Amino acid sequence: MPAILEVRGLKVRYGVHEAVCGVDMAFEEGKITAIIGSNGAGKTTIINAISGAVRREGKILYQGAPLTDKANRVVRRGIVQVPEGRKIFPGLSVEENLRLGAYTVKSNREIERLLREQYRMFPRLGERRKQDAGTLSGGEQQMLAIGRGLMALPRVIMLDEPSLGLAPVIVTDVFNNIRRIRDEGITVILVEQNAKKSLGICDYGYVIENGKAVIEGTGAELLCNEEVKNAYLGAAREC
Amino acid sequence: MSLQLLISGISLGSVYALIAVGFAIVFSVLKFSNFAHGGMISACAYIGYYFQRSFPSTPPIYVTILFSALCGVALSFLVDFIAYRRLRAKQAPNIYYFLASITVSIAIVQILSVFYGNNLYAYPAIFESTTFFIGSIRFSTIDTLILLVSLAMLAVLIYLIDKTRVGLAIRAVAINAQTSKLMGINSGFIIVAVFAIAGVLAGVSGVLLGLKYSIYPTLGSQMMLKGFIASVIGGLGSLSGAIAAAIILGVVEIFLTYYLGSLSTPIILFGVMLVFLAVRPEGIAGRFAKDKV
Repeated sequence: MPAILEVRGLKVRYGVHEAVCGVDMAFEEGKITAIIGSNGAGKTTIINAISGAVRREGKILYQGAPLTDKANRVVRRGIVQVPEGRKIFPGLSVEENLRLGAYTVKSNREIERLLREQYRMFPRLGERRKQDAGTLSGGEQQMLAIGRGLMALPRVIMLDEPSLGLAPVIVTDVFNNIRRIRDEGITVILVEQNAKKSLGICDYGYVIENGKAVIEGTGAELLCNEEVKNAYLGAAREC
Repeated sequence: MSLQLLISGISLGSVYALIAVGFAIVFSVLKFSNFAHGGMISACAYIGYYFQRSFPSTPPIYVTILFSALCGVALSFLVDFIAYRRLRAKQAPNIYYFLASITVSIAIVQILSVFYGNNLYAYPAIFESTTFFIGSIRFSTIDTLILLVSLAMLAVLIYLIDKTRVGLAIRAVAINAQTSKLMGINSGFIIVAVFAIAGVLAGVSGVLLGLKYSIYPTLGSQMMLKGFIASVIGGLGSLSGAIAAAIILGVVEIFLTYYLGSLSTPIILFGVMLVFLAVRPEGIAGRFAKDKV
């Protein structure tokens, strides 16, 4: 399968500090690619660079052509980020949050269809559609953030720490949804500190350390890799 | 008598609401107090005055309002172009916007003073009679006109903000500009939209104030202070709060002026504002929204 999105020699600087120092990655269409690594390794910066939310150097190729660095145009091209910490809009209703996700969708009929689809997928959001999104629980806010991302009709969805701060049973729920999104043919880029869970569902994975991609391989390969096991999976684990 | 005072108060309050909203909408998106709004109101009041007088027969008032609103938009873009655009490009701290907006406001007032001195100009009368009767109750024609125009404007604005795609995007940028970009919202376009709305509001309120009062260079700045009080009491950045507070302010002002006179009334109004800033800086409608992690 060809890569839908490719990153070559990506660099991002914050002042004098280089957060991402020359990363090469390829994201296969219709697959889940996990990016794991410890806090501050540069995972979020990589997807922010793809989103056009930070200044970058290097090449990003989308469907074979260079990708714009304007954040609003990246969304129009079908690459959507679900940011860390959900970043739902408090003070707006659940439905208004979802409609904002579909800001780039022109057809009203399409927007209504997308709304129905999210309510079918996440019934809790349907029950609370008129409610202030700021009053939702953490798990519900994550569902809303993912639903909002799907409202943009993405071809590539980038999820930043979707399991952060959620109860284990909700985390399982979130990961099931990520698998479902992939099964619908959407390419998923999954940034996670929860290495075990994300390597468990991903098709391919990268390990990021100090702004560099140090190890890569299929999910199964990474789960068995000694370095990965020691650094990210905790105690020895049988393969 | 008190019914007339009430209507007069609501009418005045509705103009304050136009001003407060023009002020609050810029604040909500760009997070700075746009004091240039007062200068723009004055400029638009003069524009309306000249437009009214530049034809052999006085044009209908709605044409004048429309023309002034268009000029308000142009002026608003011009102020943004001259004073704020570069600050935005540099991501300058808010204090610079604050200084730039006050400077622009003073500059506009000075330019107007150079051309018109401090003479008072009055719009040509647009109605044959200053009052009309419904049953036995007497109404001021100008107050009624102002009330109707303002309420219509506010209704259109509320519809725009609450029900349209652009309005939703404006509210999103007001809550979190960074995340809005991830929704595909072009923040540059939203800023243009916000300045256009503020310009329309300055244009309309300038003409309405001109119809009610004689015009002079600092008219807009003085009236904007009232709009500012309303948007502080209503919660800076909260449109519904600003509208409610503005109308209450207008009514209170008219009653206080009637019973206490026009000299002590402003002291009480500004006193109330100080109390609000000390006790409830987020305003009556405002609440500090929290992001759940």
